[in-house]
Amino acid sequence: MTAPPLANLINELSKLPGVGGKSASRIAYYILKRTTGEAESLANAIADVKAKIFRCSTCNNMTDVEPCAICSDPRRDAGVICVVEEAFNIPTIEQTRDFHGVFHVLLGALSPLKGVGPQDIDVAGLLKRVQSGGVREVIVATNPNVEGEATALYIAQQLHSLEVKTTRLAFGLPVGGDLEYADQVTMSKALEGRREI
Amino acid sequence: MILRSIATQAFRNLAAEEVAFHEHVNIVVGRNGQGKTNLLEAIYFLATTKSFRTSRVASLFSFGSPSTFVSGQLHRFGVDKMLSVGLETGETKRRALLINGERVPLAVYVNTMSVFAYSAARLDILRGAPEERRRFLDRGIASIDPGYLEAVSRYGRVLRQRNALLASGSASSLAAWDAELIASAAPLQRGRAAYAEALASSFAAIVAEHGYHIQNVSIAYKPSAVDDLARIRRDELRAHMSLVGPQRDVLEFSVDGRPAAEVLSGGEQKMVVLFLKFAKLDLFRRRFDEPAVFLLDDVDAELDLEILEQLLVKLPSRTQVFATSAKERFLRTLEAGPHRRLVIENGRVAATNDLP
Ligand SMILES: [Zn+2]
Repeated sequence: MTAPPLANLINELSKLPGVGGKSASRIAYYILKRTTGEAESLANAIADVKAKIFRCSTCNNMTDVEPCAICSDPRRDAGVICVVEEAFNIPTIEQTRDFHGVFHVLLGALSPLKGVGPQDIDVAGLLKRVQSGGVREVIVATNPNVEGEATALYIAQQLHSLEVKTTRLAFGLPVGGDLEYADQVTMSKALEGRREI
Repeated sequence: MILRSIATQAFRNLAAEEVAFHEHVNIVVGRNGQGKTNLLEAIYFLATTKSFRTSRVASLFSFGSPSTFVSGQLHRFGVDKMLSVGLETGETKRRALLINGERVPLAVYVNTMSVFAYSAARLDILRGAPEERRRFLDRGIASIDPGYLEAVSRYGRVLRQRNALLASGSASSLAAWDAELIASAAPLQRGRAAYAEALASSFAAIVAEHGYHIQNVSIAYKPSAVDDLARIRRDELRAHMSLVGPQRDVLEFSVDGRPAAEVLSGGEQKMVVLFLKFAKLDLFRRRFDEPAVFLLDDVDAELDLEILEQLLVKLPSRTQVFATSAKERFLRTLEAGPHRRLVIENGRVAATNDLP
């Protein structure tokens, strides 16, 4: 029988995305072999991230300062907003270095099957930002799957009556793919080839 | 393409042994219930992960077995590839598709080997529910358009999402799902219209060429248009589901305006299905300039054997054919050229004999 503290760690690790029971067990034994200091710094990092990271009140990005580093950067163009589903999509677009605007994180995508409607994602916050003026273009960078496309169409319909250009990334990704797995070149091309919707 | 051999584990009553095939004609004989059709079904399953005689995959497993496994050696474009399908029953229902031992997605797998099957069970194309005819159409399109299945599955997902929204009673994002429904339905209805037209003309040519005195069977594809969703908005909200779209498309086989299944005799229906299969084979060959594997299950007295012979003779010479019949004399048309006889007894190939 596995000792309860070890079983507990394996159980917690196996809840992580992409980590199965076998990997959880391997990671747990790996941690056991490290020094106490190394294990503590991992534990502290996890505790720290929960204590110090929160959502930017403007764009919903994960940040430790308010507003976030992107929103408060005077070199970024606040007239162009790139809309993504999740905060972890931001680095994918940032890696291209081609985008100099700001972001808006929706915190999800429309999915009636999961009970996610427009009120469950932050479209209202996006509309408020556009209505407050100064926004020339909204680039919708939701995933190129069924839910991401519907979300993009919904946003375009909501922005229709406002004085703003709405564009969609041109994906070279396979249909049904995920933004997360796009490499730098694909992402650059997707940005460059964006079309008005 | 040529299927060199097949090996099954726990597939119906078939023995777990490798069976080697003739590169041209394979005649599968044996008494009833010995496993002739099962062998053809295993070939079809290897290529498509489906059965040509049942939609209940569970019936493919040997009695009491939790899984089934079929693999085969396929020769195509000058190379040999090992294809394998593994399927689990029960709650897990896991499926493994492998090419040369490596897992591949379904869309890649089903485009590796192309097979068409004639079987009396396929009379469902004429007699069954409209869904049978849509599936008949979709499988044909998928055989010549590798991207089609992905479009089908994408549309299916949009439809499930939109139906969930209509069922929820909250319709605030319905306009967005309308737009997606329209966009994702387009490739399906375009593909179906084009394929139905090509199939109808190939079918008509075959009927004319063989002078079969079948009444005027016409094939018509009637799409369920999605272009005016606003008009049916209230109906859809009341029905809590989508009322138009490819899931309601109709493929119609009719004789003088009446359903072919009501007008034609059983034997005539079998001939129509046989002609349809040859039409599909023809469209495949025209697209890829190579023949597909052809399965001919249960040739019986109701088929016009003279016409069958003419059709078989006209197949491209490299077409690999597998045929079964309860009565060997019905297969005589296939025995003219080089062929292999496989005698099945109790799920096992008891003897093979190459002739002449
Ligand atoms: Zn921010």
